[in-house]
Amino acid sequence: MAKKDEKIDYVKNGKRVDGRKVEELRPLTIEVGVIDNADGSAYLEWGQNKVIVAVYGPRELLPKHKQDPRKAIVNFQYRMATFSVPDRKNPRPARREIEISKVCSEALQRAVFAERFPNTVIDVFVQILDSNAGSRAAGLSAASVALADAGIPMRDLVASTGVGKAGGEIILDLNKFEEDAPDAVDIPIAIMPRTEEIVLLQMDGLLTTKEWKKCLELGVKGCKQVYEVQRAALQKKYDAAGAVKGKEKKKEEKAAKKEKVK
Amino acid sequence: MEPVLWALKTDKVKAALKEEKRLDDRALDAYRDIEVSNEVSKNAEGSARVRLGKTDVIAGVKMILGTPYPDSPGEGTISVGAELHPMAFSEYEFGPPKPDAIEVSRVVDRCIRESKTLNFKDLCIKEGEQIWICFIDLYPLNDDGNLFDAFSIAGLAALIDTKIPKIEDDKIVKGEYSGKLKLARQPLLSTFAKIGNTVVLDPTMVEQKAQDARFSVATTDDNYLCAFQKGGFGGFTGAEIDSCIDIATKASKMVRKKL
Amino acid sequence: MNLSEKKLVIPGELIAEGRMKLGSHVFVENGKIYSDALGLFYENNEIASVVALKGRYIPRRGDLIVGIVNSEKFSGYTVDVNTINTSYISKDAVRDRLQRGVVFSAKINEVDELGEARLDDVRVFYGGEIFSITPVKVPRLIGKSGSMLNQLKDETGCNIMVGRNGWIWAKGGDTKLFAKALNLIEEESHKSNLTNKVGEFLKKNKVKK
Repeated sequence: MAKKDEKIDYVKNGKRVDGRKVEELRPLTIEVGVIDNADGSAYLEWGQNKVIVAVYGPRELLPKHKQDPRKAIVNFQYRMATFSVPDRKNPRPARREIEISKVCSEALQRAVFAERFPNTVIDVFVQILDSNAGSRAAGLSAASVALADAGIPMRDLVASTGVGKAGGEIILDLNKFEEDAPDAVDIPIAIMPRTEEIVLLQMDGLLTTKEWKKCLELGVKGCKQVYEVQRAALQKKYDAAGAVKGKEKKKEEKAAKKEKVK
Repeated sequence: MEPVLWALKTDKVKAALKEEKRLDDRALDAYRDIEVSNEVSKNAEGSARVRLGKTDVIAGVKMILGTPYPDSPGEGTISVGAELHPMAFSEYEFGPPKPDAIEVSRVVDRCIRESKTLNFKDLCIKEGEQIWICFIDLYPLNDDGNLFDAFSIAGLAALIDTKIPKIEDDKIVKGEYSGKLKLARQPLLSTFAKIGNTVVLDPTMVEQKAQDARFSVATTDDNYLCAFQKGGFGGFTGAEIDSCIDIATKASKMVRKKL
Repeated sequence: MNLSEKKLVIPGELIAEGRMKLGSHVFVENGKIYSDALGLFYENNEIASVVALKGRYIPRRGDLIVGIVNSEKFSGYTVDVNTINTSYISKDAVRDRLQRGVVFSAKINEVDELGEARLDDVRVFYGGEIFSITPVKVPRLIGKSGSMLNQLKDETGCNIMVGRNGWIWAKGGDTKLFAKALNLIEEESHKSNLTNKVGEFLKKNKVKK
């Protein structure tokens, strides 16, 4: 940890402490269809963040008094594995997790054509396996891919990222070190990329209007980069060339090897 | 899935077993394919992911500083937790751990603890003052039956992977390690389902739904037995138990090769 | 279906501008037409429609489905037909008393505003097995004017009843081969030339008598 009087350059010669450019995301990959039992699922790696998401539904919501006869309820449940943070996390859901679950549910509710499935619930289970700042953006981005994989009708995907400030610099997708800067501001943002409608936005820290505008511009840009990865992941699953699922491919390779040995 | 659909499927399981056949064409004493990998989480001191057929689980170890129990001032300890996360199966729900989750975690705990795999004296840092508590937490990602064995394999694989954090001034130095956790042996559970009068190793979900009773036995690489657990409404004969132990001893040897 | 250029689209993707007839899985916003699902869009000048690759079965009047009896009520039976809500058969619609677990085919006679269906034309099956496929893939399982299904029946020797809800009843013949072929259709339904591929698969894997 840096001493208070010691000045750290969060951006030096256009490069950040981890070597990224100001507008650069950490490496992001998404894989679709990873949980066999689920109606839809996705696995996402984003820097050190690792997230797995399962979607079940639409299915009947019980108990019945929770049902809404006009629409399906999107139930996004964010949970951190006990070993996903430096100290062991208490397995009981913390207030933070409950809040994140609520705001992300609302973000997805906007994108889903929920009115087509009255009295039902669409469960979205998000499990954080490893974290290093930005896990809710990771969870939300993976969740919208899993919803599409489940065949849930949607207006658009939801793409999310973090954006903010460290050492006076506006940067995209803060890592933990940047998030711990004395003046750090972290802004999780999610949009529907086609319309750029913001479906999730949170912020804590001190920020000027000018800085916020820069943040928004950069955030939207970042979300669109995320969207391209989401789109590619969905297409890859059904791509003619990549249509053979990973498991079978392995089997085929194994078989090929065996033949060679013979 | 609706219970009524399960009923139809379990009928198929029972019919096939009458001819000593399983729906997935496995031998009665065979495990499904097992895949073990590490590096689930960098924040964990050790972690593993295990695929047992379509059953998919993860385990993570956190080493935490604690104070010893008054009755064993010179010993550290372990704690095993399991959460049957609703991600893994449509019948699971969030909430306080239900009897199923408590049972499986306690059985895995006993398998590791009672095998004396970990020397608890090694986990003592300062007698009467500071010890290591080794938390092993288990999560299912996809449950297609036999979480007992999947968790046990994952737990052991995570322990093998575990590094002990470095200590300075009675505090953990994050990201630095003083060495690997020492394991004296490798205990593993093998779980059987009794369906009608047939006993099968490593039941799938539909076999589990069809089972009358369940039996788990923990064996070590030096051929000790370190835990038993019987579950379900039905019973086993002594000969069946003996046969289970026999099969478990052989089958777990195959599993250890994957670690 | 007019098989021209096909394209994989994701939810929210623009598929057409201007006035067109609207098919399934599309919506209009500001005069433009978008897909609401992950699916295949066939370029076509008359109708904007997307074939979804996944999704739950939504009951529609007139559909032929396969179901399982769940429980008996005073004047009818609640049944599971792979939909979100339970469906219902009136006792007037069946001659014999139905037991829990009985497999049947039926026609959907009526769907209420909550998506609960009432069934008619009930035919009970004795023996056999029940299989399932993603409901949106049922048209592929049937094939053009039944070509795929006929081929499956011929090569496996099974008696097969396909429900629009993705449940399939089959009896006799080589049901194991049928299950494997079904799996192939499930995994490759979005690719072209599927009927030939399945045909080759069946011929190759058929147990010689």
